[in-house]
Amino acid sequence: MKRVFQHPEGPVTGKKYWRSLEEYSDSAEFKQWLDREFPDNASEFTDGQSRRSFLKLMGASMALAGIGSLAGCRRPEAYVVPLVKTPEWMVPGRALLYASAMPRRRGAQPLIVTTFDGRPVKIEGNNLYPQSNGGSSTFAQASILDLYDPDRSKTLIVEGVAKSNSEIKTILESLRNQLVASQGKDVLVLLDEANSPTQARLVRELQKQFPQINIAVYEPMMLAEQLNNAPKAIPRFEKADVILSLDCDFLNFDEGGLQSIKSFTDKRRVKNPGDPMNRLYVVENRYTNTGAVADHRLRLAASQVINFAATLAQKLGVAVPAVNGKPVPLLDLAANSFLNRWLTGLAKDLQANSGKAMIVAGAHQPALVHQIVAAINASVTAAPQAAVASAFTGLNIVQAAELIRSGKISTLIIAGGNPVYNAPNDLDWTNLQKKVASIGKVYRLGFHNDESSEKGLANIQLPMSHFLETWGDTLSEDGTLLSIQPMILPLFGGISTTQLLGALAGFAITDGPELVSETFKQVAGGDITSAWKKFVHDGFYSGARIAAPVAAGNVATVTPVPVQIDTVPLSPQSLELVIMADYKVDDGRYSNNGWMQELPDPITKNTWGNAALISQKTANDLNLKSVLEKGIYQSDVILIKANGKSLEAPILIVPGHADNSISLSVGYGRVASDAHGLRIASNLGANAYALRSSTNPYITTGVTVEKTGKRFDLAITQEHGSMEGRALVREGTVEDFVAVPDFAKHQGMDAHIPENISIHKNPYFENGQHSSIRPPVHQWGMAIDLNTCIGCNTCTIACQSENNIPIVGKEQVQNGREMHWLRIDRYFSSKRDASKIPLGSNLDEVIELDDTEMIFQPMACVHCENAPCETVCPVNATVHSEEGLNVMAYNRCIGTRYCANNCPYKVRRFNFFDYNKRPLDSLYLGPLADRPREDIEMMKLRSNPNVTVRMRGVMEKCTYCVQRIETAKIDQKVKAAASDNIKVPDQTITTACQQACPADAIVFGDISDPNSRVSEWKASGRDYSVLSYLNTKPRTSYLARLRNPNLMKEGAGFIMPDIDDVGKMSGGVGHHGGDHSAAHGHAPEGEHAHPTTPAVQPAGHRTPVQGGGNH
Amino acid sequence: MSQETLTKGDPEIEDSVIRVPLVLNNRKYNWVTEKICGIVEGGTPLWWWIAFIPSALLASVSMFTIGYLISTGVGVWGLNHPVGWAWDITNFVFWIGIGHAGTLISAILFLTRQKWRTSINRAAEAMTLFAVMCAGIFPAVHVGRVWMAWYLAPIPNSNAIWPNFRSPLLWDVFAVSTYFTVSVLFWYVGLIPDLATLRDRATNKFRKMAYGIAAMGWRGANRHWHNYEKAYLVLAGISTPLVLSVHTVVSMDFATSVIPGWHTTIFPPYFVAGAIFGGFAMVLTLMLPARALYGLHDVITPKHIDNMAKIILLTGTIVGYAYTMEFFIAWYSGNFFEQYAFFNRATGVYWWAYLAMMSCNVLSPQLFWFKACRHNVYVVFAVCMFVNAGMWFERFVIIVTSLHRDFLPSSWGYFSPTWVDIWTFLSTFGIFLSLFLLFVRFLPMIAISEVKGVLPESDPHSPLHHSETGHQDHGKEAH
Repeated sequence: MKRVFQHPEGPVTGKKYWRSLEEYSDSAEFKQWLDREFPDNASEFTDGQSRRSFLKLMGASMALAGIGSLAGCRRPEAYVVPLVKTPEWMVPGRALLYASAMPRRRGAQPLIVTTFDGRPVKIEGNNLYPQSNGGSSTFAQASILDLYDPDRSKTLIVEGVAKSNSEIKTILESLRNQLVASQGKDVLVLLDEANSPTQARLVRELQKQFPQINIAVYEPMMLAEQLNNAPKAIPRFEKADVILSLDCDFLNFDEGGLQSIKSFTDKRRVKNPGDPMNRLYVVENRYTNTGAVADHRLRLAASQVINFAATLAQKLGVAVPAVNGKPVPLLDLAANSFLNRWLTGLAKDLQANSGKAMIVAGAHQPALVHQIVAAINASVTAAPQAAVASAFTGLNIVQAAELIRSGKISTLIIAGGNPVYNAPNDLDWTNLQKKVASIGKVYRLGFHNDESSEKGLANIQLPMSHFLETWGDTLSEDGTLLSIQPMILPLFGGISTTQLLGALAGFAITDGPELVSETFKQVAGGDITSAWKKFVHDGFYSGARIAAPVAAGNVATVTPVPVQIDTVPLSPQSLELVIMADYKVDDGRYSNNGWMQELPDPITKNTWGNAALISQKTANDLNLKSVLEKGIYQSDVILIKANGKSLEAPILIVPGHADNSISLSVGYGRVASDAHGLRIASNLGANAYALRSSTNPYITTGVTVEKTGKRFDLAITQEHGSMEGRALVREGTVEDFVAVPDFAKHQGMDAHIPENISIHKNPYFENGQHSSIRPPVHQWGMAIDLNTCIGCNTCTIACQSENNIPIVGKEQVQNGREMHWLRIDRYFSSKRDASKIPLGSNLDEVIELDDTEMIFQPMACVHCENAPCETVCPVNATVHSEEGLNVMAYNRCIGTRYCANNCPYKVRRFNFFDYNKRPLDSLYLGPLADRPREDIEMMKLRSNPNVTVRMRGVMEKCTYCVQRIETAKIDQKVKAAASDNIKVPDQTITTACQQACPADAIVFGDISDPNSRVSEWKASGRDYSVLSYLNTKPRTSYLARLRNPNLMKEGAGFIMPDIDDVGKMSGGVGHHGGDHSAAHGHAPEGEHAHPTTPAVQPAGHRTPVQGGGNH
Repeated sequence: MSQETLTKGDPEIEDSVIRVPLVLNNRKYNWVTEKICGIVEGGTPLWWWIAFIPSALLASVSMFTIGYLISTGVGVWGLNHPVGWAWDITNFVFWIGIGHAGTLISAILFLTRQKWRTSINRAAEAMTLFAVMCAGIFPAVHVGRVWMAWYLAPIPNSNAIWPNFRSPLLWDVFAVSTYFTVSVLFWYVGLIPDLATLRDRATNKFRKMAYGIAAMGWRGANRHWHNYEKAYLVLAGISTPLVLSVHTVVSMDFATSVIPGWHTTIFPPYFVAGAIFGGFAMVLTLMLPARALYGLHDVITPKHIDNMAKIILLTGTIVGYAYTMEFFIAWYSGNFFEQYAFFNRATGVYWWAYLAMMSCNVLSPQLFWFKACRHNVYVVFAVCMFVNAGMWFERFVIIVTSLHRDFLPSSWGYFSPTWVDIWTFLSTFGIFLSLFLLFVRFLPMIAISEVKGVLPESDPHSPLHHSETGHQDHGKEAH
């Protein structure tokens, strides 16, 4: 798509001038040189040494040397020429918003993209879309960085030689001619699951034109579904009061998606005492976001979930299908009273809530589990859920591999995927692809030059465009049609999968929406002019869904692939391995994204790599250690042997993990090579794909582990997992809330001290009233509902994107210098001594003592009215605004760091180096290592023009998105004109974190307006301030977390065995009132306390309130 | 005065209460002049070169480390997010504390008429100046944008932005700069008569010019002495509150904050006591070798050493009391953030620093309860070295252990120094020692005129007074 400047032909008469001898000779090389814009190899990295050297440049916030000043980034061509008269919607400096969507394998996310002067700079959720709150995901937020990723595939590469992108058309034409000739007989097209109706239509078109063509779909993290060819189940959380999740992480952005998060959390917005709240049971092997939110959580090896499901079915009187004539073994309840009580309580709860109860099973659980769950849902719980068929289905990867192996394929077209990296290892895909490449041709359309585009594996590498660069359409989780529209022409001239399929089907490649609008015409019917406009404007089609939901219960009709019921008990000598998608890099597709690499994992807080997660007990059994030494986690490296393969990975001990179970996420362990320059992604972590076979894609048993004797330094942002009894995150049960509606205000130090009488009076805002001196119109404040926060990190990335926050690299994360303005604090708690977990590997022994709870707390500057940072700054660089903002004047800051020292919340971030100006691997070289000017220009393109990019030596922190506040105020003043109506209406301003939050857990607004949403939240009894005893008067307050335990009784006692522990983390009300001295007399544990040894949380001070009769 | 009164009475009493003279062996004026001026005028001893060359080399390391720091960023140090200050401010407080002894000896002991101060005050004041110079380096270069440090000065620019007068860091700027200015003046005024002596004795033109200019035309006239004494007294009066205020202000950097372990009202007296403690230890650290190398045993007598050892014992015990009281108050407050901060200080990851602080500062000076220890220069020197180290650890403990684990466990961290931290600190010792060696080489390290004033010879009533030397230099007696 690059515009090639055509040098005008010289005059026919007169002398002929030439610019060089090459031109004079008119050689082919010269012509290519003219066309290429840059010399060969200018854009290829040749340094292949260390990972650190790959961090030289920071993700997409930098460009390759030689990209040239902005050559790649232009407005649409129609507007390249400076406008004499600008279109009326183009106001320089004003953002333009467009609706679009990001395709995801299980359903796309509707988005709004903010563009400035033709360049997209920020992605937000589409708040017009009814099912999503306007929330988005970490992946959507970070995908803007991918757009500007300098490592993207930029040019056509034919047999290892870079060619001009103008030849793409020719290549595709000849490919089509070949198809026409062969009728597609020996052609295999391997697609991603993009849920695109247009792609589906084009596939049908291809199949019509070339009946023998082979179409396969492969999504690494949907392998089980593809192998089982199952329709997707859409749980209706909005209708469920009791939910059991069997290893289903429906609160992440994959299995559940935005809709699940919204409908689940909507049922947890407890405003007043006594308001209903749903109850969540989770059975899982490792902590997930979902497990963290659970009211009752049972840690159980993933391979035993099937036994759990069968046992539950038996308890509920539901028949369980036999496997190979053998029944599924049941859990031995007689030997384990804890488990027996847990299951009994659960079963009774499900029965009691028939019609409002639901069981969901994880996508990576065997089909039999889904079958059992469907059976229970159909008969007992009457689960409100529906299923949606896939947009289209094709061959799965195993069938595709079989085709290649049989030698029937001579042309392989890989559109988007990276099977060399992520195909199941038993398929030996690398050799299959090599075989096709040697006898025929492999075409690879890829976003990066990566493993699948290596020379010898792919003959032709086509650059792929970003979803912000081309037209497209996709389906949301529930089958709503979403539009994808380009914000900018392809920066590096790539094409999309849709365009590729279109070209194969004989349509011309254009920049326009023809292919998509044709599909839309078929969907909407009739004259689509206005419907199309609305579709593109709103980003979704509100008419009929594309794939009609299958009736509830139909999930059970799927014929499952038979599973092996493993009867070998788990032990330290025979463990299970659970392979999962990563919270940060997903299946590896975001592994070259600096923001995602530096994002702390929600559970482990690990950055820049993965680790084998195990429980403390398993670590003890295997004599493995992960020690915190000098602020850095040094973990033993183990050799994991599974499916006949082995892999080295560092361990990480996580509380609440099932014993004899290892969890390892995919997406890491990518190795740099000469052919590809994945500078961020390379050489981080361990490649879990190496252990993955198509027969055991997710859960493998019989895994053994060897200690290698090596140590590995992890970069973990939160070293300490215990709250040390400090009542920072407060929680209680639903019953506590009824008994003591303001329970949250009386925990920790707040239970001890009389109300602070402060000599400080805020002259502008005191006691919720405007003062008389010069009343400012607004008083900003924020409330965060810990009951709906799922710890997903989207706010962190949204903040990073909005506020131009740099990444610092692994080394600096280890040094404790990460820059996130908004972090999610994660604490574990355990009532019982973790060291007392009995030895032995049997299921019944394992569960007994593990009742670790986890809780999240988003933490950013709380904008104290009485801010400790402000008094200590010697140069007045951080001061208070009349509207209650604690503002930073970067220009005034000289960097004494006193404010950060004095901040009790530790939310201030100091620029220890010039992260923007220097390559990340050369920070210590200072001025000797300058980033090329072009790189910095590229970074500028990505940056939000309304936020200063900070230099080294200055302090920065959350501003409540002051740029958004000011924009809204200016708009309101324009609107108000001569009138006095300059008050910005409530909810006009959303901070970046609030906007992005898929759970709607953050609200921002004017606290001087009693009717504002934030005032309403703050009026709740659950509202409290962190460290309020310091009298800092924070403007950000938190709504305490609630847990909703099952209080059913059997005789005198509660059925649920863990009832005493639920919701008692920070000293809940009514459970330990008499235990005051024990609670506070304890000096907290000394050093070496880390997440592996959660401390006992002391109780609060208040006298017992027998809320709900728990005792 | 008291001595005169006492010795005027009964000869018997006179014999029993007579004090050990401040200068031993019945040295005369001439001996003092020859001895002190001889150090400056004689050849450079070999040991001086042996000491000076490494010191100067070490000092020059600071050019590199500080240049690197400023050009590259504060990240070259080991600081991180919970620990925003570490060695930088530790070193600042350490050096500024050392800078307390000189002015204390000069001013407070002068006002209280402690005549034994005369043989040590000059060197102690010089040490003060050099220590404050070393101290000043750290707050200046530890900021993120050194080139903007002038914002600290109360110069409203076009936006009329003043510094923040509520910030203790700003008070620091004023306190330290005032202290340095007054200390320089005080030191220099005291030097003038001795510079004149050197000028008068100079044998070459260059020395005559140099000392002549520095002596500002001093002729020893009665009027000169009169003005001199007045000026000295006034400066002593000004300096005295400064001795107390500087470290009080420095302590407020911590005491006014909200961080457990910093937020403590005991800090001002505790810091001042600690500063005097550390300052005296450094005075002895420098004076004991100088005394031995230049044979100044008659001027710096065991009594001087004994007195200073007693001050170290006193202030060391005050510091020990403060350490204990902090723990008591943390417990007594019932505030578990405070309790944790102190518990963690003693038993957390930095226990070794706490142990070093306690043993060096509280235990080692206890030897000075014994006269034998106070009179054994090797023991005194060893204890002083312990105290020097201990006082550095005290500041490290206060700053780093309080910061590394404060309110939110999620943000707890750990600090380790980098080579830049270490070499920047070491190089300030190079600067300090180089300056001090230059001082002893080119300026009279003992106040000649003041020592003469406390010679038995100057006291007509002293039993050791013999009039044969005459009274040529009686200006000092002109009260």
